[in-house]
Amino acid sequence: MQPSSRRRLSGAATAATILSVALLLAGCASDAGAAKQSTSGAAQVKITMTNDGSKDVCAIDHPSAAAGPITFTVENKSATGITEVELQSDQRIIGEKENLAPGLKPVSFTLTLGGGKYTVYCPGAGEENQTFTVTGKAAAPKTGSVQTLLNDGSKQYAGYVDDQIVGLVQGVGTLKAAIDSGDVAAAKKAYGQARPFYERIESDVDGFVLPGTKPNDNAGNLDYLIDMRASNLDDSVGWHGFHAIERDLFQANAITDGTKQLATELQTNVTTLAGLAKKLNYKPEDLANGAAGLLEEVQSEKIKGEEEAFSHIDLVDFAANVEGSQQAFEYLKPGLTKIDATLTKQISTQYDKVNALLDTYRDPSAIGGYVTYTPALKASDANKLSQAVQALQDPLSRLAEKVATAQ
Amino acid sequence: MTDESRPDDAKDARQREHLSRRGLFAMGAGGLAVGALAGVGGTFAAQALTHDDQGDSVDASLSYPFYGGGNQAGIRTEPQRHCVYMTFDIDPGSTLTDLESLFARWSAGIAQVMQGKPVGQVQPSRPGAVGQDTGEAVDLGPNALTVTLGIGPDVFDERFGLASKKPSLLKHLPALPSDTLQKSLTGGDLSLQACAEDPQVAYHAIRDLARMGRGTVSTRWTVMGFGRASAGQNQTTPRNLMGFKDGTRNIRSDDEFRDFVWLNDDAGWMSGGTYQVARKIQMNIEIWDADAVGDQQTVFGRHKDDGAPLSGTKEFDAPNFHKMAHGEPAIAPNAHIALAAHENNKGVKILRRSYNYTDGINQYGQLDAGLMFIAYMNDPAHFVTLQTRLGSYDRLNEYIAHIGSAVFAVPPAPESGHFIAEKLFA
Repeated sequence: MQPSSRRRLSGAATAATILSVALLLAGCASDAGAAKQSTSGAAQVKITMTNDGSKDVCAIDHPSAAAGPITFTVENKSATGITEVELQSDQRIIGEKENLAPGLKPVSFTLTLGGGKYTVYCPGAGEENQTFTVTGKAAAPKTGSVQTLLNDGSKQYAGYVDDQIVGLVQGVGTLKAAIDSGDVAAAKKAYGQARPFYERIESDVDGFVLPGTKPNDNAGNLDYLIDMRASNLDDSVGWHGFHAIERDLFQANAITDGTKQLATELQTNVTTLAGLAKKLNYKPEDLANGAAGLLEEVQSEKIKGEEEAFSHIDLVDFAANVEGSQQAFEYLKPGLTKIDATLTKQISTQYDKVNALLDTYRDPSAIGGYVTYTPALKASDANKLSQAVQALQDPLSRLAEKVATAQ
Repeated sequence: MTDESRPDDAKDARQREHLSRRGLFAMGAGGLAVGALAGVGGTFAAQALTHDDQGDSVDASLSYPFYGGGNQAGIRTEPQRHCVYMTFDIDPGSTLTDLESLFARWSAGIAQVMQGKPVGQVQPSRPGAVGQDTGEAVDLGPNALTVTLGIGPDVFDERFGLASKKPSLLKHLPALPSDTLQKSLTGGDLSLQACAEDPQVAYHAIRDLARMGRGTVSTRWTVMGFGRASAGQNQTTPRNLMGFKDGTRNIRSDDEFRDFVWLNDDAGWMSGGTYQVARKIQMNIEIWDADAVGDQQTVFGRHKDDGAPLSGTKEFDAPNFHKMAHGEPAIAPNAHIALAAHENNKGVKILRRSYNYTDGINQYGQLDAGLMFIAYMNDPAHFVTLQTRLGSYDRLNEYIAHIGSAVFAVPPAPESGHFIAEKLFA
């Protein structure tokens, strides 16, 4: 990847920026130097964004402060290219403000900082990184409270995945029993009950390859063997798994020997999957990426009605994807709230909105518990569903970065 | 597409851009130009290359200011070649604070894109980060982009406590004769009109502003206008998809803008603003194309080639609605220009700033195209007056259908350091 032209330009502009900042500081010499404490006890630091006619400038009124509580007050006076500011320590974000724009009132955040060098990062400014020095005793080495919270959440999430796997194996067992008995109605119902277990954790378990097969051979790709749809079939491997069974049950309305064979295979494959999934470990960013990945599944398959082409229980899968996504988010939430409470709340609100919308489609009498996603319903409601998910997807897509850079 | 463009090629790319256009001319230093400057330099240069139209030349580096108070850009601005129009609904649960934040972010974002700059990092330094700007307009230049924001009547309902600040003449348009409006192409709480000389620059603006708004607003309807169908002060009159010159009698002078477009000091926070009426007008292209030219000219009241009224010989001859020819009025009383003329509408005029659009092919296999009619006026009732007559009697109605509609208040531009409609939140 080539560096962006703007970043290259910003390098050339650095000298001028330093000069203008130096002049700014010289012009108010009495203010320069360490930040003073306010009556509340916290040192006060102002970060002001302006446009100097050719570029955006992020000016810090005091380049240093004594160790202890420090309040950063951020105001964007005229810098249209800057929308956020972060305080970083060793590349880790320890405080930030977003949604900055000229005309909005100043916002602030307070941190208790130990001695050392910090970086004020203003993406979009002529000079994006500036050093902020805290004098005095260095803070005791952090045990990483945020990191601990995130790691604890990730471990607990592994338990959630295990529970879903257990449910999947049981659900497929029920489905196989119904198929073996030749009861189409019972098999349809069991199909709708088994599907959500896979959809809730799909982003965690869709990467397994059977031992002894090549990564690009679909014959050994468990996700292919369990969940492949008609639209993406590999002729050399043929059709297996849930959706081949779905075709028999919902299109042909019949159970054949072939259906029974498919059910037996599916049971073998989900059992293999259960064994492999036990070995999975999750890093916090896996949860963040998984949460976002499940929503991509919703947008790319469910809203279009392509996942469940015969049973039309797309809304069942939709709800399961959202639930799995939200669970990953909830396990990260204690740590996330410390990293970025605003974004965390924003995401929670959008999950609430999506869930409230999904509630309007609940139907206890329908297979899987949601109304059938007919072409007519798709035509009238797909836009509404898609926009609700999109409003959740956008803030959620920023989680992985937050988690990866947490202190 | 084999040579990957490097940042250093930006200048070369700009030059290629110039070369690829007909009737090129290069602006002077900086490209920070205002209409007057562009007009003087441009008219002379363009005349040397084409016969008479400075609008035939494109300067990718031309930019208009967003800040500075006064009127928003994109209204009196000489119509650019392309325009993307989109309306939005405010999501249930969004608050007044969300709206304030959106207007501030949109204002800053519009200021950036109008200068040809991204709205944030295209390639963030952290690989796990999501880019803030989507990137497709990098190195294209400002291309005379203007983005114009409108606020719909429902924003002033009970949701946000803004009822006392409702612009006095803002209300939904009444049902009008011949309306065949589709719900999915009608209304909206907010509108954005992004016009530029490069369609990708206009589209990028709408795309990134829509993205910025997600969680607060949802998209409602949109039209991509590919060719200007109205003239500014120094432009020749362009043609609509019916092949006729459109907007020969459009508003041009300072006095007309003062009397018919801008809201004066009585309008409070809206002074310097205006109202926007948007109508998506579908044309029955195939039927029109099969109509004899004589009838087409009778329908419009003008000659097809030079645009002269049927009562005259040159485009800008004032139509004479009393002139007789062969015992009948030269211009039929129900011809389009007769019904739309200010002489026949108690002097009412509106500023038309329309674009030709196409939506591809319709369900019957016919070409799906028409006119994205956008007009600005100091009272939306003026449009109602005109369309009531046109919708009732216009001979053109046989060939067109108004399928989309919306009305918005367009606030004045903000001063630097402020955002659009900031006074709503004071």
